[in-house]
Amino acid sequence: MDYSLQIIREYMPLFLKGTVTTIQLSLLSILFGTILGLFIGLGKMTKKRLISLPCLWYISFFRGTPLLVQILLIHSAFMPLIMKPPNVFVSSVLALSLNAAAYIAEIFRAGIQSIDKGQMEAAKSLGMNHVQAMKHVILPQASRRMIPPLGNEFIVLIKDSSLVSIIATPELMYYARAMMGEYYRPWEPYMTAALMYLILTLGMAFILSKIERKFVYD
Amino acid sequence: MNLKQTIKVGIIGLSAALLAACGSTGSDDKKLTIGTDAAYAPFESLNGDKIVGFDVDVLDAVMKEADLDYKLKNTGWDPLFIALQNEEVDAGISAITINDKRKKTYDFSSPYFESINMILTKEGSPIKSAKDLEGKKVSVQNGTTGQEALEKMFGKNENIKKFDSNVLAIQALLNGEVEAVVADNGVLKEYEKNNPDKKLVTISDKENFDSEFYGIIFPKDGDHQDEINKAMKKVIDSGKYAEIYKKWFGEEPNVDALKQ
Repeated sequence: MDYSLQIIREYMPLFLKGTVTTIQLSLLSILFGTILGLFIGLGKMTKKRLISLPCLWYISFFRGTPLLVQILLIHSAFMPLIMKPPNVFVSSVLALSLNAAAYIAEIFRAGIQSIDKGQMEAAKSLGMNHVQAMKHVILPQASRRMIPPLGNEFIVLIKDSSLVSIIATPELMYYARAMMGEYYRPWEPYMTAALMYLILTLGMAFILSKIERKFVYD
Repeated sequence: MNLKQTIKVGIIGLSAALLAACGSTGSDDKKLTIGTDAAYAPFESLNGDKIVGFDVDVLDAVMKEADLDYKLKNTGWDPLFIALQNEEVDAGISAITINDKRKKTYDFSSPYFESINMILTKEGSPIKSAKDLEGKKVSVQNGTTGQEALEKMFGKNENIKKFDSNVLAIQALLNGEVEAVVADNGVLKEYEKNNPDKKLVTISDKENFDSEFYGIIFPKDGDHQDEINKAMKKVIDSGKYAEIYKKWFGEEPNVDALKQ
């Protein structure tokens, strides 16, 4: 037991460094994923097939293939085309954002479609155009319903970010694996990593519950 | 018995049967279970559902010599060490390097393979020896001797990129993320030979890269080290070892290095 604590303590600075990278990765991917997801979700709902069909394909692809495969594809096949040499951090954020956007798009669509059709009709009969009605009537109501599933997605994203350790992005899981490689002891590094992820996801859940409460009582 | 009781008894009975079945796969007879991660050619890899490789042949020769019955099991890398710590397997053979940090948790047999690291880099690279790697980004497979050799020379640092496999480490070189790969000579030479179109060169540097030795790994204070060490010595002395080595690597082994 003493030896376990000793090697964990020895590795702690690296674990903390990895945790900072994990937080950066997750926050950036949440930001880009949400923006992209909003457009793709809206795109999928339009009646113009030229727009809605590619959005549908996008969601099918990113939701229907494993994230691990997407990370490897993006980093070793796609990124080398546009960036030389490819940066692992950029590849990681790109893969996580593109993947999250597919799920977030569906959350937006479900949120918007859950608002009664009468609301849109009422807004239009007051003289609003489609964009105005969306902005002032539909989205404020829909966003309240979207918060719980979005929160879920953000927590999933934090956990999924561990997969980018496969391309040696120096985040939390990468250092846990490095520690395993050094001592050949799996328990200590993986338990430490699990605890760190738990702290991150609990922190995220706490922030989300605050936001949710604020929206509900407004 | 009413229905509820019947279900309860049924569940208990079923769990007991399942648990008993699990237990019996452990140590009911004298057959030893040896774990490996069959994903590191040419040392151990899967050929269909059969495990083949240099390690497999050495193990077979040693176990025959020691007259021990054994079963080789593909456990995967991380689970192998969990199984060793829980003593679910009696030993492991998986191109595992012997070092002092690991000796605190496990026991090792006498060495059965001398590994020398090499550098793989692009043609025309300014890197000519291990010293030239200082301050450059280099990729390795996590937990290998290549990583250790670099850390010994330059200390633990961010420029050593640790990948899950040698294939991914080499991919990073091809992408230009790193300037060189450091890995076992066997692995790199094989890659260079199979991919002449990639314009890569291997550089050996026996001055700066120390030899590392692979050993069979045992749980701390296990029961079979002595028998296996004795058998290992016989296999090496009798020339059987050299025969296996030539089969897999096409050259004569440096047997003296193993005996030190």
